[in-house]
Amino acid sequence: MSMAVLELQNITKRFGSAAAVDDVSFEVQRGEILALLGPSGCGKTTTLRMIAGFEWPDEGRIFIGGDDMELRQPYERNVGLVFQDYALFPHMSVAQNIAFGMKNRGVKRAEIGRRVAEALEQVQLPGMESRRPSALSGGQQQRVALARALVTRPDIMLLDEPLSNLDAKLRLQLRREIRTILGTFGCTSIIVTHDQEEAMGLADRIVLMNKGRIEQIDTPHALYQTPRTLFAADFIGHANWIGGMLSRRGGEAGVVKTALGEIPVMSGDLGDGPATLCIRPERLSLLDAAARPDTALDAVVERHDLTGADLRIWSRLADGTLVQSLEKNVGRHLPEPGTAVRLGFRMADCVVLPGRRPQA
Amino acid sequence: MSKRIADALFEAAYLSLITLFIAFSVIPVLVALVLSFDARGFMGPFPPTQFSLRWYERFLADDYYHAGLATSLIVATVATLIATLAGTLAAIALSRATFRGRAALQAALLSPLVVPNVVLGFGMLVFAARLGIVDGMTRLIMGHVLITFPYVMRTTAASLVGIRASYYEAALSLGAQPWKALVQVTLPLARTGILAGATFGFVTSFDDVGVSLFLTDAFTYTLPVAILAQMRANLDLTIAALSVIFVVATVLLIVLLDRLAGLDAIVGRGVYGR
Repeated sequence: MSMAVLELQNITKRFGSAAAVDDVSFEVQRGEILALLGPSGCGKTTTLRMIAGFEWPDEGRIFIGGDDMELRQPYERNVGLVFQDYALFPHMSVAQNIAFGMKNRGVKRAEIGRRVAEALEQVQLPGMESRRPSALSGGQQQRVALARALVTRPDIMLLDEPLSNLDAKLRLQLRREIRTILGTFGCTSIIVTHDQEEAMGLADRIVLMNKGRIEQIDTPHALYQTPRTLFAADFIGHANWIGGMLSRRGGEAGVVKTALGEIPVMSGDLGDGPATLCIRPERLSLLDAAARPDTALDAVVERHDLTGADLRIWSRLADGTLVQSLEKNVGRHLPEPGTAVRLGFRMADCVVLPGRRPQA
Repeated sequence: MSKRIADALFEAAYLSLITLFIAFSVIPVLVALVLSFDARGFMGPFPPTQFSLRWYERFLADDYYHAGLATSLIVATVATLIATLAGTLAAIALSRATFRGRAALQAALLSPLVVPNVVLGFGMLVFAARLGIVDGMTRLIMGHVLITFPYVMRTTAASLVGIRASYYEAALSLGAQPWKALVQVTLPLARTGILAGATFGFVTSFDDVGVSLFLTDAFTYTLPVAILAQMRANLDLTIAALSVIFVVATVLLIVLLDRLAGLDAIVGRGVYGR
């Protein structure tokens, strides 16, 4: 018996002839927060709806707490759902909303009252029992929706784009709160989002999806540092790209032949063939005369963008590729546009990915 | 400059149109109101010279009208109850249906709105005769269910459209079986639509002549049919008194509904008002 609270085995769902979800498998461990991340139409919401029981997979199986969900209706699964629009029942008070699930699951009246008050305490809305949902702010509604789902003590919590209906500032604050609340309840959770920052900030692990398939499952850190596909590298954060042909040189070492010359890389288990180098902007640095990086490239500075704490410097390489590098905005003198510079990176700071990016 | 004149002309035309419209709809009621208090025993020139309550007294004393009023109230109430139940269920079923021909089925269920009542009445008469139903009350209720049903279905369907699917799904995920989710979440949210449909249906039933004319018999007749018969037999101003009672009753019904659910919610905003 594994510790997986939720297990998806080779789930496929077709709408018409198109597969919305294509052979998706993953596990969620007890107490873990997992993010389903991807662009709209990648199948993450359909996956969530299949876990909740609103859609039925065409192939594959779903296990919650070790039980096969094949014949379980939504109301027979012990799953807590927080909808994108919160879906608080507008004709019920906050207390009635929170009590709804417990009533259906046969919790005793006295117990319900106690647990409603306790849940409101835990989401920092004490004494709000008699309010109507419409009298609450977006953030408060969000927290009531969380309380309503959590109070039934579900095996797993599913949150569908939980922050997309809030403005940017509130989003940041609520991201922390959600993390705290989910932590307090120690609840295993899945968060569906298209916002990489939200996924990085909330999740222990991220399932990155694209066109119905899983691109990569990893911790936020690993997903950013060592993406395994062009899509993963492109979707998360910013990146510079240099295309070429990889040839292996025995062991882990290899070299990518590019228009800018040969660049030494750690090729990992990648075979020879078309490959693309991905270098994060903060790993590409302006070189002073003494620097001895693994790779140095000649470039001409085109412009600067100040983002506040950082300065983004756009430079053009010899082959015409535009690259960006990040420098801390600490008052150091930086080369003006038009200046010839050298940009460099260490072998460990770049990732080699299979395939070529389509020319932009 | 000429543009301003055009604007002024347009505004004047617009205002006169509204004024005319209001005049046309209000004046007949006012005339009936005034005439109902006429003390003269015949239809004299307007306005009356003396006033009395004689037509109201006559109405109150006339068993013929009483029987009609009682029948009308029973028919309208029973028909509205049946139509509300059936119309609500039909609207819910249609709102979820995905099969082909859904639109056609909806159109068929709504068709009593556009088919002339005379046709419906005649059809129901033949249908009831075939079924061996000769009882006037049963026939009337059958016919009136037919004309009130589309109102309930239409307004309920409209309010269901405004209820986000996530409410129902949230109820399911909170452990409610489908029927519980329906009764505890969907129906309360659609209640303004249901209530509006029932109100329109009740008024339509209470008001109907076309269908009722075919389905009444010598002993069971509705108030509008009674008025029509009286008008043919001996035209007197009891009808004016009755009209006033009708208007007052309707206004009372609307006020009552406003108290119960908020008229605004019923005719305007729909679901999210409260």
